[in-house]
Amino acid sequence: MDKQKDIAKSIRRASIKKNWAMFKQSKLGMIGIYIVGFFLFLSLLQPFLFVTGIWNKGIYDPVVGYSEQFQDFLVVDCPKEYPTEKYKSRTDCPARNEINIRTLFYSDAQVGETIYQNLQPAPPSKKHILGTDPLGRDVFSQIMEGSQVAFILGLLSATLGVGISTLLGTIAAFYGGRVDAYLMRQSDLILMLPTLPLLFIISAFSELKVWHLAVVLGTIGGLGGSVITIKSQALQVKVKPFVDSARITGGSRMNILFSHVLPNVAPLALLFMVFSVTGAIASESVLSFLGLLNIDMSWGLMIYLAQVEGYIFSGMKFWWLILPAGLSVTFLAGGFYLVGRGLDEVFNPRLRKR
Amino acid sequence: MKNILEVKNLCMSYSTIEGEVEAVKDVSFSVKEGESFGIVGESGCGKTSVAMSLLQLQADNGKITNGQILFDGKNIVQLNESELRSIRWSGISMVFQGAMNSWNPVVKIGEQIREAIREHYPDKSKDENTNKILELFNIVGLDSSVIDRYPHELSGGMKQRAVIALALSCDPKLIIADEPTTALDVVIQDQILNEIRKVQEVLGLSLIYISHDIAVIAEMTDNMAVMYAGSIVERGPTKEIFSNPRHSYTKSLLESTPSIVGDKVKLKSLDGEPPSLINKEPGCSFAPRCPYKEESCNPLREMELIEINNEHYVDACNAGKL
Amino acid sequence: MTRYIIKRIYQLIIVFFLFLVTSYVLFDAIPGDAFQSLLLNPNLPPEAYTRVEELFGLNQPLYKRVILYIQNFFKGDFGYSYTRYPKTPIELIAERLPRTLMLFAMVNVVSFYTGFLIGKILAWRRGSKSETWITVTSVFSYTVFYPWFALMMLWIFGYKLDWLPIGKFLYPETWYDSPYTSDEIFVSLIKYVALFSSVQILLFIFTRNIESISKRRNARLASFITLIVLSFVYWNSGDFVNQKIYAFNIAYHMILPVFTVTVVAFAGTALLTRTTMMEVMKDDFMLTARAKGISQKRIRDRHAARNALLPVVTSFIFTIVTIIDGSVLTETIFSWPGMGQLILDSVLQEDIPVAMASFSFIGIFALIAHFLADISYAYLDPRIRIQSQG
Repeated sequence: MDKQKDIAKSIRRASIKKNWAMFKQSKLGMIGIYIVGFFLFLSLLQPFLFVTGIWNKGIYDPVVGYSEQFQDFLVVDCPKEYPTEKYKSRTDCPARNEINIRTLFYSDAQVGETIYQNLQPAPPSKKHILGTDPLGRDVFSQIMEGSQVAFILGLLSATLGVGISTLLGTIAAFYGGRVDAYLMRQSDLILMLPTLPLLFIISAFSELKVWHLAVVLGTIGGLGGSVITIKSQALQVKVKPFVDSARITGGSRMNILFSHVLPNVAPLALLFMVFSVTGAIASESVLSFLGLLNIDMSWGLMIYLAQVEGYIFSGMKFWWLILPAGLSVTFLAGGFYLVGRGLDEVFNPRLRKR
Repeated sequence: MKNILEVKNLCMSYSTIEGEVEAVKDVSFSVKEGESFGIVGESGCGKTSVAMSLLQLQADNGKITNGQILFDGKNIVQLNESELRSIRWSGISMVFQGAMNSWNPVVKIGEQIREAIREHYPDKSKDENTNKILELFNIVGLDSSVIDRYPHELSGGMKQRAVIALALSCDPKLIIADEPTTALDVVIQDQILNEIRKVQEVLGLSLIYISHDIAVIAEMTDNMAVMYAGSIVERGPTKEIFSNPRHSYTKSLLESTPSIVGDKVKLKSLDGEPPSLINKEPGCSFAPRCPYKEESCNPLREMELIEINNEHYVDACNAGKL
Repeated sequence: MTRYIIKRIYQLIIVFFLFLVTSYVLFDAIPGDAFQSLLLNPNLPPEAYTRVEELFGLNQPLYKRVILYIQNFFKGDFGYSYTRYPKTPIELIAERLPRTLMLFAMVNVVSFYTGFLIGKILAWRRGSKSETWITVTSVFSYTVFYPWFALMMLWIFGYKLDWLPIGKFLYPETWYDSPYTSDEIFVSLIKYVALFSSVQILLFIFTRNIESISKRRNARLASFITLIVLSFVYWNSGDFVNQKIYAFNIAYHMILPVFTVTVVAFAGTALLTRTTMMEVMKDDFMLTARAKGISQKRIRDRHAARNALLPVVTSFIFTIVTIIDGSVLTETIFSWPGMGQLILDSVLQEDIPVAMASFSFIGIFALIAHFLADISYAYLDPRIRIQSQG
């Protein structure tokens, strides 16, 4: 009996190796893995830096850190009409080392004087690789924190969603009849509800922290259209001869479900999971951007802050407030999607090059 | 009579993750006008690869590494894609293995045949093409209503006949039939074989017939070649080979076919399997399984065909034996 | 077949019913209601709030309200908007719908067509360098952070370069003395686009019978050019001469949103097409097509792409369903007052009649679209067509 288990284990190990070799063949999958790996590294880097003391938590904490950078500012009075000889357009005044007198509410400084002020948000420097945000917090640290949030949220909601839809899908395929009809109508119902307004409503009556949002996204995703797709896949497995032979040899329905149908549906489910992570990250960013979530720090939140404080349309002047966060969302979501495409090639032989 | 096709020292290999697979090694044969030529061998011996390379239809990872294919005197190995396209179907056409899947499921049969005709005869009108197709259907024994049917509406035998009609549609000079009846039952097989023979006689076509069923080859072909592990081991007139098989493999092949006449004899079969074609070892590839091994056998000697009789070629190893 | 349809419709009604109840309960769960502002207004006595509550029946228990709403719903009475009194939800929807429809119909058609084209080409060029980086670019345009991207586009084209208008769908100055309302223009624009597309499709079907390929292509090109010329005549005749300016105004405003959404949306179709085509390309009939000597382009278009069309069209129909859902973000960012904004506002302000009406609209829309998807699936795949008839 043990020998059989050993043999089974070694077969599994060999097939995993083979799958990995195939996955490596897919250029898209490899690019995706590198991107995901990079962000994983970032999310692990932050606690490492804090724990080992390389970073002082007081300064670098993404939520409550505060970093002061004082420098001299020249006080100017921005003209009403543009372009003038000094400034080309409205966004050029005040320039990097200048400050508009109209924003000084509690100082007696006059135009032409220099004052010593705190620079917020600060452009990238040696101390802060990506600069600081309007509240003096290090942007790079925020990116790393956001990376952690993205991973936790994405993987949690994806696993939950796929777990639910795989279970429901296989049950629907296998038991058929009323159960099937009920489950199909249920997912129709979920599909009918518009996602974004639904999330608005939910955010209105329950406080959405990371875990709550993950559960909500996972449930909605899991009960929706993916049930139908997994059900049709399970149906294809159900009509295969080996299922019949399993039944004849006396396997109970549950047994067949777990040891035969599920492994064949697993590749599709895995694929779904990876693509759900993409969706989860995107949804979270959009919801944060609209100010509906109660998460301490995430990429969407960074852009929300930038917009609320009016930095979005300042163009390239405050790029570090907008670009890193936006690009991170794009690339991590895209990275997972590429990994999904790579997995697709492993599981679906028709998609391979040879 | 002129040679419509001459294959000289054809070599083809596929590059895979595990290595280079030498599927076709040093294959040479020729087909005359109006003649039917058979290629017989086990699964995996390279017969389909030879067929594919005649039309340069091999898979993306397959490459012709050496040799010439002279069709009507012209070497078609070096031709570029657009020149090949004009030869395909109007010069050489093919009936594939498993014709069931040869058809595009969302396009009607008639339209698919029309497409081929349109490519090679662009100036014909719709009616002319329709008449041509009906003629072809007549020859292969299909009802005229098949033109407007979709592939899944036809039975296996009908699809096969339609494939033959498709192959004939551009008046080719040479047809390659790759196991055209493998998936059909014996009755239909007989019908199809008769159709093919009739068509060949009526239209004067040359035919290359590929099969693993030696009985069919015996019935259908004038000349034949026996392939093993990517090379031809024996080649010559069919009658000659059947009455006087020389190569050990050919002999084993014939001995393993049951006969209705005579006493009940125990079937002889060959032990072992064909060799792996990846990074093949040099020398005689049949040596490990050869039941006629002798002391004088040198397994490391490369295969080489020598003429022993009128047009009857055998690998040198067996040339000396009886 | 008919038994199946009847069963489906019966199930549909039950689902819709549940949908109504669920939506209402959800809306009710949101703390507060539409009339909170009355409490804050110092000029109104607090009795005003309770009076209004009574008038609108909001002080009754939940289950009674749900039953009442559903009864009225099936009678056709959708109530009055709480925040935009005395407009009814139907009026509001009728006003907003053409705008969203116009915008997203264009987006869907353009992105579907572009996506299919690009996906087709990508799958055909499998393994080449260009295929890899184009696919990766498509993936990133698919996952790009949409609000950020839209704002960037707005900033670049509307502000920095000043090529395109920033918001809304018209210039008030131009429309100041206009004898038309925006709704009329929208409706006539939609009619024109519908007319154009249907004529084009009809021409397409008629020219299928021409045997020679090059002649067919010429015929289609000629007819397309004729259509363009006819469009000129159409817009310069009769009443349309006057409408022209306003119509162009709207079209001009549409360019940026359509472009932005298309960039994000085409990638989904492109990637799906690419995957499906890659599967199809391994089928045996592709070999036959190659053997027949047809050009690569024709094989790609008439054999591979035609077979890949099925899942793509199905997903297209499902995308249409999410038009309104997807429009929420776009309309907010581009200040395009359409259905998306309507839903958003009504949900945030707790304008229950309008919110319920919009949700119901989306729900019915979704159900019909599913139904259409099933039918079109049967039509496009002849194998299923025969089976479902038999």
